Amino acid sequence: MNASSLIAKKERSALLQNQRGLAWLLTYAGILSAFSLLLISNRELSLLDNAQVVYMMAGTVTAAGALIAVIMGSDAYAGERERGTLVPLLTAPVSTGELLLGKAIGLASAWVIMYLLAIPYLWAVGANGQNLGQAIFYLGLFGTPVVLGFGYLAMALSSRSGSVMSSLLTSLSVLLFSASPLLIGPGLRNSAIGKALDAVNPFSGALNTFDAVIIDSDPFTSQVGRLLLVLVWLGLTFALARLSARRPAFR
Amino acid sequence: MLIDANHLALTLDGNTILKDVSLHLKKGEVYGLLGPNGAGKSTTIALLLGLYHLDKGELHHFSKQDTDLVSIRQRIGVMPEFAGFYEWMSAREYLVWYASFYGGLQSTPDVLLERVGLSNTGNKPIVQFSRGMKQRLALARALVHGPELLILDEPTNGLDPRGRREIHDLLIKLATKEDVGILLCTHLLDDVERLCTHIGIIDKGRTLLEDNLQHLLIDAGKPRYRLHMISIPEVQYLPPQVNMIGQDGSWCTFQIDPGRDMAIGKVWEDMLDHGWVFDEIHAERNTLEERYLALTGARQDNHEEKAA
Repeated sequence: MNASSLIAKKERSALLQNQRGLAWLLTYAGILSAFSLLLISNRELSLLDNAQVVYMMAGTVTAAGALIAVIMGSDAYAGERERGTLVPLLTAPVSTGELLLGKAIGLASAWVIMYLLAIPYLWAVGANGQNLGQAIFYLGLFGTPVVLGFGYLAMALSSRSGSVMSSLLTSLSVLLFSASPLLIGPGLRNSAIGKALDAVNPFSGALNTFDAVIIDSDPFTSQVGRLLLVLVWLGLTFALARLSARRPAFR
Repeated sequence: MLIDANHLALTLDGNTILKDVSLHLKKGEVYGLLGPNGAGKSTTIALLLGLYHLDKGELHHFSKQDTDLVSIRQRIGVMPEFAGFYEWMSAREYLVWYASFYGGLQSTPDVLLERVGLSNTGNKPIVQFSRGMKQRLALARALVHGPELLILDEPTNGLDPRGRREIHDLLIKLATKEDVGILLCTHLLDDVERLCTHIGIIDKGRTLLEDNLQHLLIDAGKPRYRLHMISIPEVQYLPPQVNMIGQDGSWCTFQIDPGRDMAIGKVWEDMLDHGWVFDEIHAERNTLEERYLALTGARQDNHEEKAA
């Protein structure tokens, strides 16, 4: 087993065997449970069109996934440093590239678990509709680069920052800023600034695609531009993490 | 030569941390790196491990056989000052996982745990370990692959006197019987006097002294040690270079006439082999401590680094 696989194995065990990792997974499941319960039981929300409900659920999964990825990414280096486990890794025969790759694979594995956990919730709220399959497919295709990109961005900050808290706050600010076009309402989203933000914002890119394919049943070909946007986001954040983690702060 | 470092210099964020540090360590030697807080000891260790880029000077590991950092680390065991672990794992699970970076454990995890005094703890989650147990586990981690060079930062921190002695005995054995080179960074001069064959004293980023400890002690006169005896043999054999010059209850004072290349660890080992059982060693204070204070400046505040 090479060094990256060993680190990825440890990351997976940190998620599935460590109390902290299990707590984050439970939090994630709790968010999805609460939201799906709301969608089904709330009188006004339950009147929504089925496609609209599935779209909202897919958006929630992406947002909750990005949030957990940011938390995990912030902990990747700074958390190891604070717990005294980074130096043993850096002094073992492991290159910094292998270390980053192991952590990146670990994060991707966590997203796979979160994605699989989300499927029953999507099914619970959208089993009666026609676009459930598309929702699951596009959540994987667009949600994956968006979620992992936020995780890698947090990792880049974590490898250089002094504490988990500082990298977490910075990454959360970026995540909130990315989500801001959705929070500011349709009026502002249609303004020039809102449109510009939408055009470069991977989070909006994913949600606009969910909107187009789940609610409007648009074909895949019309989503290629947005797919490129989220893939570029993933590539840029990974490159940033690679650059930043080349010489991580270890004290 | 395991480490051949000459005139190392390092600047970090515009601050010159190391100005002129030299360090030379051969197989079977135990090198004590001493210095006050902020002298640059930990930075020197980080530099030796390739965690920083060298600005100036020459640094070679293993007689220049290796230049690749990953393959150099393959031959080094490191025990950092702060012993952190993945605490949800058991000790055995952790050692097996960590050893995989080096191609696997040299012996079984249970043998390794027994060697550092952690028998029957293999299945215990690390979260349940005391500080002293974690310190021992950190030493086991450094030994997983049978390194040629051990770099230990405050290895006896948090250990009780018995634990300290057990770790001392293990380190002496590693150096004398297995030819491992040991670089020891410690505040405890007792540890240095008990274990080291060579010392280096650094202050303000400069090496002030690098010498064979026995040569240093010869310069300061014949060294004397007070040993707290648990039992004294009936036939009192002593190594030829050792004279007992006094006894006060269970404390015996010995004067040692050191040869130029004698390792003090071997003297203790020889005495233990002949039935002298002791659990504490104190050097008389006319030796290393005075030399250390003279070099690093007794002017430093007592609360800064009080050499124990």
